[in-house]
Amino acid sequence: MARHLALRGAAILYLGLIVVLPVLAVIREGFAGGLAALREALAIPYAWDAIRLTLITSILAAVINAVMGTALAYVLVRFRFPGRRVLSSVVDLPLAIPTLVTGLMLVSLYGPNGAIGGWLAERGIQVVFTKFAVLLALLVVTLPLVVRQVMPVLQELDPAEEEAASTLGANAWTSFRRVVLPAVRPAVVGGTLLTFARCLGEFGSVVLISGNLPGKTLTAPVFIFQLANQFRPAEAAAVATLLFALAFVLVLVTARLTRRREDA
Amino acid sequence: MSAVAARDAVPTDLERARRRRRLVRSLLVIGCVGYVAVLLLLPLIGIIRTALEPGVGIVRETLTLPEVRHAFYLTGIITVITVVVTTVFGLIVAWVLVRQRFHGRAVMNALVDLPFALSPVTVGLACVLLFGANGWFNEFFAARGIQIIFAVPAMVLVTIFICVPFTIRELVPVLEEIGLDEEDASRTLGASLWQTFFKVTLPNIRWALGYGVALTTARAIGEIGAVLIVSGLIKGKTETATIFIFTAIEERQTAEAFVVALVLAAISIVLLVLLEAFRRRSEKGRGHTT
Amino acid sequence: MPRWLRRSHVVAPILTVLVLAACSDTSSTASAAGPSGSGTCTPAETPIINFAAYSTPREVYGKIIPEFVSQWKEDHDDQNVIFQESYAGSTTQAANIIAGYEADVVALSLGPDVDEIASAGLITHDWTKEADDGMVSTSVVVFDVRPGNPDGFTDWDDLTADGVEILTPDPASSGGARWNLVSAWGAALRGHAGVGEGDEAGAQALLEGVLGNVVVFDKSARDSIQNFESGIGNVAITYENEVLTAQEAGLEDEAVYPPSSVLIQNPVAVVDANVDKHCVREVAEAFVEFLHTPDVKALYTEVGFLRSTDLAEAQAGGGQFPPIEDLWTVDDLGGWDGLTQELFDDDGIVTQAIAG
Repeated sequence: MARHLALRGAAILYLGLIVVLPVLAVIREGFAGGLAALREALAIPYAWDAIRLTLITSILAAVINAVMGTALAYVLVRFRFPGRRVLSSVVDLPLAIPTLVTGLMLVSLYGPNGAIGGWLAERGIQVVFTKFAVLLALLVVTLPLVVRQVMPVLQELDPAEEEAASTLGANAWTSFRRVVLPAVRPAVVGGTLLTFARCLGEFGSVVLISGNLPGKTLTAPVFIFQLANQFRPAEAAAVATLLFALAFVLVLVTARLTRRREDA
Repeated sequence: MSAVAARDAVPTDLERARRRRRLVRSLLVIGCVGYVAVLLLLPLIGIIRTALEPGVGIVRETLTLPEVRHAFYLTGIITVITVVVTTVFGLIVAWVLVRQRFHGRAVMNALVDLPFALSPVTVGLACVLLFGANGWFNEFFAARGIQIIFAVPAMVLVTIFICVPFTIRELVPVLEEIGLDEEDASRTLGASLWQTFFKVTLPNIRWALGYGVALTTARAIGEIGAVLIVSGLIKGKTETATIFIFTAIEERQTAEAFVVALVLAAISIVLLVLLEAFRRRSEKGRGHTT
Repeated sequence: MPRWLRRSHVVAPILTVLVLAACSDTSSTASAAGPSGSGTCTPAETPIINFAAYSTPREVYGKIIPEFVSQWKEDHDDQNVIFQESYAGSTTQAANIIAGYEADVVALSLGPDVDEIASAGLITHDWTKEADDGMVSTSVVVFDVRPGNPDGFTDWDDLTADGVEILTPDPASSGGARWNLVSAWGAALRGHAGVGEGDEAGAQALLEGVLGNVVVFDKSARDSIQNFESGIGNVAITYENEVLTAQEAGLEDEAVYPPSSVLIQNPVAVVDANVDKHCVREVAEAFVEFLHTPDVKALYTEVGFLRSTDLAEAQAGGGQFPPIEDLWTVDDLGGWDGLTQELFDDDGIVTQAIAG
């Protein structure tokens, strides 16, 4: 019994010291001057632009990922084709690869000296240092998130149900919509929220490819980074607290959704 | 034309439907492969090409630079410490979450997910707020002459924070699934807590544990936002591999930056192989199949 | 088991965390402030100097530091000195030092960054009273253009034309960016770039025109020029020494010198609080002195492509440095304080122009 309590105490101490303290520090600093200080921090030129850009690109990335992630999961589970295993592994690569390296990868291909970037530049299209570059980076690093949530659900789903639907005359889309979607919906929503939360804080891949143009391609995390590097920790903390609050709510909701699915 | 031939020549509705379905399938597969190619495969090739553009010799040249060597060494140290701490305590937390019922359990669960909600730059900022010159703990450590911020300890701490959830999140579902039966049986037969853990629980969770460790390793190696803020960028002392890449790009050492990035990418691929292997074994053990 | 014991495993850790949080010392003065004694510390056998510099002169100090170390060895009985060098943006370095990075010597891009460190109580002597007003190197603002200057840039007003794409670092995060913009402002106020002398409204319009054409605000001056080299934009506003360094590396950068430029002056200072804490004052001060000797100044010029700290000499140029028609310092505009307030504060001209 005592040993159980000791374990629990150790767990509480670990989480308290490592997780709670830092978060408390940021929140405390962010609210040190009260709501007025928060409003002041957000009045810095480019603050709202950065937050807005982060929100919009994160939502877009989450939606695109929801669609493509589900499609990828479906393709990987239901279809057989050469290279399926490889594709499945490649999809997981962003889990293992440093975000900074991801940024470099994108720059080397889509930058003005890159194979695709150079080709596009000749036609007057620029990829790097644009809002699109931010979205691109986010899509890459969040690629596995929805797929990995949906795949287990699809694996459990008996393909016989879809076949039954098609025998009854439903076309592919209807059977997908009526049979598959309801089953994977919690997983898709969970993965989408996870993607969104992840995108809110993404730094390594975005900082190299976006150009960090204030008001145009400067995202909130890079903005916080810049503030932290100047004499402005209070403002950095204010923006950081805002982002964190949003992301935390998302993470909690996702956790609740995934847990409910596992219990079911 | 005979009646039979005529019938065969005109596609039936079923055949048309089947053909359409096959077309849709192919399009889906091509679309997905294309998506992954544009986002991952092609850039991967791009970085290999860019890194090796000055010739293959650049790899050896870069890897013999003392700065680079130290950077990898530092990344290694930070990663090892992080993995050890998060694994040991991760096991404890996962165990407590699954095997114990107590009032704050939901809170503890939420705390484990907390690091996912923070941008790494926020973590770095928190560290400066805690250990910097006006920080909460600065007096305590400064009086003892211990340098936390702008030195390696801070870098370790932020990496641990960021990696807290991984192992725990992998272990909790597995622990829940395998249930108490075997462990209870072992305890009934007189085994101690330790023996039960090592002989019964651990073998059941080893693949999930391995997956969590591999994931933590990859994340620790790849950390940039937080360590960049707390490192102080001291050459040969507080530069990890990722920080080296970041500063090298700035200092016109693009070739070296790309080589180090390529090495990290290679390490990631090795970790990825491990991840896949662990995941497959874990799922097999739990009765799923890929 | 007694109830209190059962609860203690939860309460104790929570209490620990709360106590630690409550013990937070947010009202303390920086514990690093104030020297620890009156020179009664015992120096280490091998002194370690923490050297924090802005990112541009990395190569220069890479040459200077070994020279100093070997000279110190000669003069001091074979005593070795170890330098731990850190290179980052000028303002970032200053912020880190104030936040607890215990640098003994700082070499930054502009005076105000050193002043910030002084305001935090870490530098207690008047660093501007040292040799050469505390400056060790200078440079001028130039336009980095494509080979042959196809767009025909000659002065700041050319940069305000429609369709021009400018690269320059972000004034918020880069000291270098401020030099660039101060140079434009000052040139306009002194009657260049198509603006009448003393015409503040015209100068403001010029700045706004330039800033409106900026396509990338980089983290640092080095980033700007590298992005320019990778094909972005028509022109990068940068320092002369950056362009010369690039040319030395075989790149195609070409410099266009606007007729009027600010003299970019880079300060070096000893950080009193840290040198006393680490007991390395003697070595640190010797190092700073060393940086003002003629041999080292020659190194600044040869390796770093930096000009002389003497205004007349800098203006005359010589060798690879063309003469500058109108070279002036920030003091001619009233000093950094006024400029920072007018241009770079949250409601300053530059900040507002970027936000707008």
